[in-house]
Amino acid sequence: MATSDTKVTMLQGLLRFKGAVFPGVFISFSLLSFAFLLFMTLYLAQNSDLFTALDSGIIGLLKFTLYQATLSTILSLLVGVLLAWALAHQSKFKGRSLLVALFSSSLVLPTLIVVFGLIGIFGRSGYLNEMSLFLFDHSFGSYLYGLGGILLAHVYLNASYASRALLHSFESIPKEKYKLAKSLNFSVFERFLYVEYPAIKATFLSIGSTVFLLCFTSFAVVLLLGGNPSYNTLEVAIYEAVKLDFDIALALKLALVQLSISAVLVVLSSGFRTGLSNLKTSVTAIPWKESRVLGMVQWAVIGLFTLFFILPLVVIVLDGIGADFSRILGDALFVQSFITSISLATVSSFLTVLIALLLSNARRGFTLSTRLGSKPFSKVLDALIAFSGNLYLAIPSLVMGLGFFLMYQKYDGSQVLWSAMALLTANVLMSLPFALSVLTPAMHKTAQRYDKLAFSLGLKGFTRWKYIEYPYIKSSLAYVFALAFCFSLGDLGIIALFGSDEFMTLPWYLYQLMGSYRTTDAAGVALVMLVLVLGVFILIPRMFRGEM
Amino acid sequence: MFKIISYFFLATLFVFATEKPPLTIYTYDAFAASWGAAPKIKVAFEKENDCKVKFVGLSSSIVALRKIQLEGKKTKADILLGIDTNIAEVAKKTGLFLSHNLNTSNLDLPFPYDDDTFTAFDYSYAAFVYSENKVKNPPHSFEELVSMPKDFKIVIQDPRSSTAGLALLLWVKSVYGDKAGEYWKRLAPYILTITKGWSEAYGLFLKGEADMVLSYTTSPAYHIVDENRTDIKSAPFKEGHYGQIEVAGILKSSTHKVCAKEFMHFMHSKTFADIIPIGNWGYPVIKGSKPLHPAFDTLHKPQKMLLIDGVVVEKQRKAIINEWLRAIQK
Repeated sequence: MATSDTKVTMLQGLLRFKGAVFPGVFISFSLLSFAFLLFMTLYLAQNSDLFTALDSGIIGLLKFTLYQATLSTILSLLVGVLLAWALAHQSKFKGRSLLVALFSSSLVLPTLIVVFGLIGIFGRSGYLNEMSLFLFDHSFGSYLYGLGGILLAHVYLNASYASRALLHSFESIPKEKYKLAKSLNFSVFERFLYVEYPAIKATFLSIGSTVFLLCFTSFAVVLLLGGNPSYNTLEVAIYEAVKLDFDIALALKLALVQLSISAVLVVLSSGFRTGLSNLKTSVTAIPWKESRVLGMVQWAVIGLFTLFFILPLVVIVLDGIGADFSRILGDALFVQSFITSISLATVSSFLTVLIALLLSNARRGFTLSTRLGSKPFSKVLDALIAFSGNLYLAIPSLVMGLGFFLMYQKYDGSQVLWSAMALLTANVLMSLPFALSVLTPAMHKTAQRYDKLAFSLGLKGFTRWKYIEYPYIKSSLAYVFALAFCFSLGDLGIIALFGSDEFMTLPWYLYQLMGSYRTTDAAGVALVMLVLVLGVFILIPRMFRGEM
Repeated sequence: MFKIISYFFLATLFVFATEKPPLTIYTYDAFAASWGAAPKIKVAFEKENDCKVKFVGLSSSIVALRKIQLEGKKTKADILLGIDTNIAEVAKKTGLFLSHNLNTSNLDLPFPYDDDTFTAFDYSYAAFVYSENKVKNPPHSFEELVSMPKDFKIVIQDPRSSTAGLALLLWVKSVYGDKAGEYWKRLAPYILTITKGWSEAYGLFLKGEADMVLSYTTSPAYHIVDENRTDIKSAPFKEGHYGQIEVAGILKSSTHKVCAKEFMHFMHSKTFADIIPIGNWGYPVIKGSKPLHPAFDTLHKPQKMLLIDGVVVEKQRKAIINEWLRAIQK
């Protein structure tokens, strides 16, 4: 009898919460079927046996991809931990919060812009070489192209992001533990090993696995700085197979290898990936100063990284100001790509917010005990929804692009339409993991706090949303919207497959300019993108908080 | 804001609706550029024929071919111009191109090329180009090239995307045969970078990033004629030079077949032959109305032209490229 009871209550519960749960479940299943369709499209389109066809070329690619991803992850984590550690212990200085905010903005900086800035500093005719040529009559040459450049860019993009999340863990260490460490006369190393490492371990592993996945599937950085077929990752090889060789069979083979490995990596790391960490944190200072030497080391770490982080951005501004903006703004291709990028970013950020809300609404429905949390199947459904929101980590964008490309060839419809659809899907999926990591906890908390009150008052549907959820999660919504907007605006992934003179986004336009050595125009466009991205990322959340 | 966007949208629709699309020619960027041959050819062709022409420049001719393959039957291109005989077989195999029905037996080529689908419009020889002011002792053979000082850097093009890069690959293959892979291993340390197309590589060279660039024996003419600069030279190689015959073909899906055929015909006119040497910096395939510009007398014209037949190239292309990839991969 007990089982039929739970069945009845499960059904009743589902009916009661249908408005909250069904849209999310529906979307989640749509996403999963999309992934399945994509996989089948790729799998059916390739005719040779995947496992016998792994020739030495692919093995070589795979080796380099894993090698650079491993090195990038280790370096990014090393720098990230050092920086977070230094910032945690130097908790009181002017501009610290600004600096921390700047580091967290690295998440939305378009890869292409970062690379452009890095070339400006470290390139063969960059500032560093020019300066050294002027001072010592010696040029370091073109060390940036190749593994060195790839590592540098990956550390730039990921170390700041890692440090932001790690700083949060450092700051949540109870101050009593530091007191204890001090009274036990721990050395810095012992203090790190016994007090700090256990506290940051979870974040460390979680961030580490995410950074590894991002570097493993890195496209724009390798495309721009690889500079040589000997430094290819699987993603770039897929792009080259389609665009240079028109060897769809090879592209499929590579895509399936890439897909299988990232899927395995996602499953393996899901144990310690606790969701991409929320970027909001509070500061509580450690009540004593570090020793002089240690303080100096920490200052050096902060200073060096800040220089490393800010200089490429400064170069973009300096080089960009000198550009001929009347010519750039008058270029029909610029106007076209600007409008395309802004439209895509707007639509995809609205979609991201909507989908993330529906998914997190369904998830809280399945986890909270006031709702369906205690019911059977709830756990499974919750896990499925969570996985569907993180699809992007398992399906790299070029693989997705290839799937769309095959569908475009198979079915009718204009290229522009298919391109727009491919880009929108990729951009939404790319933003979802970050959107969910912000919105899920917020939605969860509102329900925990107000469910009983809302149920007793009979608040439902839009009224409940207006009085309960919206005021509480307003600022998170704005943050997610801005994040998705910037991701979409800066994305140089699928567009590499679909870009043409009829369908062009700002990053693709900039990439074309860089390829044709129209450096001053490129600098101007890079500046436009930088201002746009930082402007949106800073202003939109403020607008929602009513600070404007 | 929304209003403005919708007006803009309507305006673009209007433009698309009223203007009949011109004869669209996909080619490489150096040809289509404002300083390339395209603007002069457009003017001359439109004066003699009742057709409007539009050149679309891609980062290389192979990229232009791939774009046509990606677009398939939906492509806007009517003509593909600028691939060479080494890759023309790949283009033919796509089945997207039409027979031209031109008589090509009277063409003045150092190497006969008679194909029913593609037809030649200029030719040149692959060569390394350097500045006399910077390089005092240029190499005169492939062996001398790999015994240059360690900091001597060259820029080459990716043979998968650039006909120049493919020409070098086949050049080395014709000289070294089975030892080609081993030679590439020795050459690898001298390669600064491998670009997707010719213009990117040449741009790097002119910016002073590299000592030598893979280009053509005719490239110095550009600097003499347009820039009055005589320090840019091509290095004569003892082994002989690999030839590049550039060709064009009409798409089956073209909606401008009459204009397209007229254009193909125009490529073998004296007007075209006058423009090509000082517009695209290559030798014309028929005699022009005037003798060649005197700058061409100063150029090195190789005694020996190496060229592998296109059909043979196509059979071995994948294998040669893989051999190259393995050799330069670190």
